[in-house]
Amino acid sequence: MPSPIRKPQIRWHIAVFLAPAVLVYTAVMIYPLFNTLRLSLYTEVGQERIFVGLENFRTLFGDANWSRQFWNALGNNFWFFAIHMLVQNPIGVALAAILSSPRLRFSNFYRSAIFIPTILSFVIVGFAWKLILSPIWGIAPSMLDAIGLKSLYAPWLGREAYALTTLSLVSVWQFVGIPMMLIYAALLSIPDEILEAGECDGITGMAAFWKIKLPLVLPSIGIISILTFVANFNAFDLIYAAQGALAGPDFSTDILGTFMYRTFFGFQLQLGDPHMGSAIASAMFGIILIGVCLYLFGIQRRLRNYQF
Amino acid sequence: MTALELDKICKSFGSVEVLKDISLTVEDGEFVVFVGPSGCGKSTLLRIIAGLEDPTSGTVAIGGDMVNTVPPAKRGIAMVFQSYALYPHLSVKDNMTLGLKQEGQPKAVIEERVTKAVRMLGLGAYIARRPSDLSGGQRQRVAIGRAIVREPKLFLFDEPLSNLDAALRMNMRVEIADLHRKLGASIIYVTHDQTEAMTLADKIVVLRDGHVEQVGSPMELYNNPANQFVAGFLGSPSMNFLEKSVAGQTAGTILGIRPEHLRLTENGRIRGTITHVERLGGDTNLLVITDADEKLTVRLFGQYDKSVGEATALDFDDSHAFHFDQDRQRIYQSAA
Amino acid sequence: MSKARQSTGATIAAHAVLIVYTIIALFPVFVIVINSFKTRQAIFREPLTLPDSDSFSLIGYQTVLKQGDFFLYFQNSMIVTVGSLFFILLFGAMAAFALAEYRFRGNMLMGLYLALGIMIPIRIGTVAILEMMVQTGLVNTLWALILVYTAQGLPLAVFILSAFMKQVSDDLKNAGRIDGLSEYKIFFRLVLPLVRPAMATVAVFNMIPIWNDLWFPLILAPSEQTKTLTLGSQVFIGQFVTDWNAVLSALSLAILPVMALYVVFSRQLIRGITSGAVK
Repeated sequence: MPSPIRKPQIRWHIAVFLAPAVLVYTAVMIYPLFNTLRLSLYTEVGQERIFVGLENFRTLFGDANWSRQFWNALGNNFWFFAIHMLVQNPIGVALAAILSSPRLRFSNFYRSAIFIPTILSFVIVGFAWKLILSPIWGIAPSMLDAIGLKSLYAPWLGREAYALTTLSLVSVWQFVGIPMMLIYAALLSIPDEILEAGECDGITGMAAFWKIKLPLVLPSIGIISILTFVANFNAFDLIYAAQGALAGPDFSTDILGTFMYRTFFGFQLQLGDPHMGSAIASAMFGIILIGVCLYLFGIQRRLRNYQF
Repeated sequence: MTALELDKICKSFGSVEVLKDISLTVEDGEFVVFVGPSGCGKSTLLRIIAGLEDPTSGTVAIGGDMVNTVPPAKRGIAMVFQSYALYPHLSVKDNMTLGLKQEGQPKAVIEERVTKAVRMLGLGAYIARRPSDLSGGQRQRVAIGRAIVREPKLFLFDEPLSNLDAALRMNMRVEIADLHRKLGASIIYVTHDQTEAMTLADKIVVLRDGHVEQVGSPMELYNNPANQFVAGFLGSPSMNFLEKSVAGQTAGTILGIRPEHLRLTENGRIRGTITHVERLGGDTNLLVITDADEKLTVRLFGQYDKSVGEATALDFDDSHAFHFDQDRQRIYQSAA
Repeated sequence: MSKARQSTGATIAAHAVLIVYTIIALFPVFVIVINSFKTRQAIFREPLTLPDSDSFSLIGYQTVLKQGDFFLYFQNSMIVTVGSLFFILLFGAMAAFALAEYRFRGNMLMGLYLALGIMIPIRIGTVAILEMMVQTGLVNTLWALILVYTAQGLPLAVFILSAFMKQVSDDLKNAGRIDGLSEYKIFFRLVLPLVRPAMATVAVFNMIPIWNDLWFPLILAPSEQTKTLTLGSQVFIGQFVTDWNAVLSALSLAILPVMALYVVFSRQLIRGITSGAVK
């Protein structure tokens, strides 16, 4: 006779399904992440690793040489982010709004073409623009000449005042496809009847965009903003490809990613320092965490998601 | 004055002809219902009137003005959509005022119209809520309110009750009829439900496959259908059509008798067997298969003790019978 | 043509804006590719004209193919991308199935734990990752890259796939159980085939960032034998800065495979993004 109370079986298959993903994720992502945070509390003396508490952070923020570089990179990073928010996202939204207008011919073609820069690597994008903007080749000045604006030309990537903004715009050029696609998808999910109700109310064209469509895609714009934030504060490749690890001219394009790389690996005569690198990585982690939390608890709650 | 005049409206999507040569007038203050099975083109016709579609040919005139090239908002119409189509991000009040603000109406006018509509529809308690916090019936009312405040020459309703449950639908039907009396407005109402059509309309337009089958008041259509389609579409349970069950029936013609016009008589002209009994309390419906193997329904008032398998004989008054030819058209009997 | 609803002026303006932006988007690629087929003089004299019989030259490509081992780089990129995608999809789908299908204690928590990685970039942990790869001897092997990209891709894959797996009908799985299929068979035979479109979306999302990544190849596998195409072209271009033919040809060669992939997968990619898989 079977016993009336059977102990629930251990469902091994659940563990088998979960194990590979959890193991790889934990070992290669989560553990190193915390290990990096831990390493930022150590330093190396001779061959030995010794615990120094928050000493690395004191150096990073206190030492004039380090803190100047850190704040420079952080400030540049904020400018980099600001340009994305102010240029990339509005252009993306505008393109999506135009693309989503009903009965527009060739919209598939435009969409695919505008997305092409997004699939290219930073190396290609960085060098391609470096060549195009180069005064040696002269494509940019001769094109400006063609529209009578030659006087505006400057070797932008070589000037401290312009280099960071120029690279930010190159990055905007590359990634405009992403907000465009996401907003396009959000606009398509607005039911036709709502827009038709608007038409019966006389809300068409620009008014329909500002009063109906834009409020309804705000949640998507929120998601795009936080994705942009994380991507920007973790950026490295484009600057490295275009300007090298020194993020010239004179560190004017240095952002946190390049600063961390230089510190970690060393450059020219300075030796690499994994512990200072970890300290910078920890600072980046903190900044991203603060940004994500601000978004989750401050902004996302106020954005309503509409069920259609 | 006519509220709406359609002249020879045709509409095709690609090679598919959806509407074929439709001409209609709607008088001022009239409640007109477009009814027909799904795919008959009734919603397309409504969208053409609203200006959301352009006719392939033909003209639309609202309040005497040709409006073919006039955008929807300037046609003097307001539309209530099947899905309500409320602006999800706006409160009930803002849903109603958005169009008026866009028109540039003065604040006082907007306030006054909204107050009136809110009172008429009993929306006072919900004015600050958003559509997602409202029930289906309340959303429906807001959608109607949004139409009322525009004070249009012509209201357009696109299957407005189809998303509501049965009990609520009946209430809203009465409310819409009531509203029509209060506003005295011209209304075009699209539905596939013949009960809504019969109970609401001053005038019914029966559409099928892009054609107008018949136009008339509900009782005209019920008592005097022009063809077998209209006869069968209006009335519930629907009319019985018999080709050979009645003794002495002319070959090649179809006889139509409404279920309520059949009665049980010992030597009736129709003989058959009961296959099913529906007892509704007030009525009893008998489903009968005749000896000539045709199905028919009998509607009896009151309660009857009939059982399945019982042989039965039925008869009817000749004045209540309709005759149709092989082309489904009515044959008008000369008074005999 | 719609008359009451649309004006021709607005349509023309829309096309004008889109055409201008399309030109902006494609112009740099166009300039690089056409000039890679020209002689050095022609590159500088007429950078904006198509190569003709006078200016046509393949000298850049000859230099590139002689000097850099682009075939090896391409092969490395291929191995890393395909390998990572395989593990992301397999492990991701398995974990997604466990989370979507079974109720067990800690299900929620496990889901949140795995979702953490969607927002936090793996690069933050680079210092410790390198240390680990050095200790395990994986540094300068393609396995190091495959592991890192798998870990990086898993969170979003689990998130997207479990959303899709929740839509697979319970009746179907229960019918399978009544027919005596094991849980593993239910996963591989019934569920996986049904979420294939979602798997394709995940694959396409991950493919491009993996193929284009510069950071990890630079740090974990910079040796000549393990260079990926992205790193290889970066290093090559850095060495040949003054040889414009070679640089332009190298860029064109790097663009080529990505464009080919895009042509093949763009419908899948765009459908994936617009179907709201990332909302």
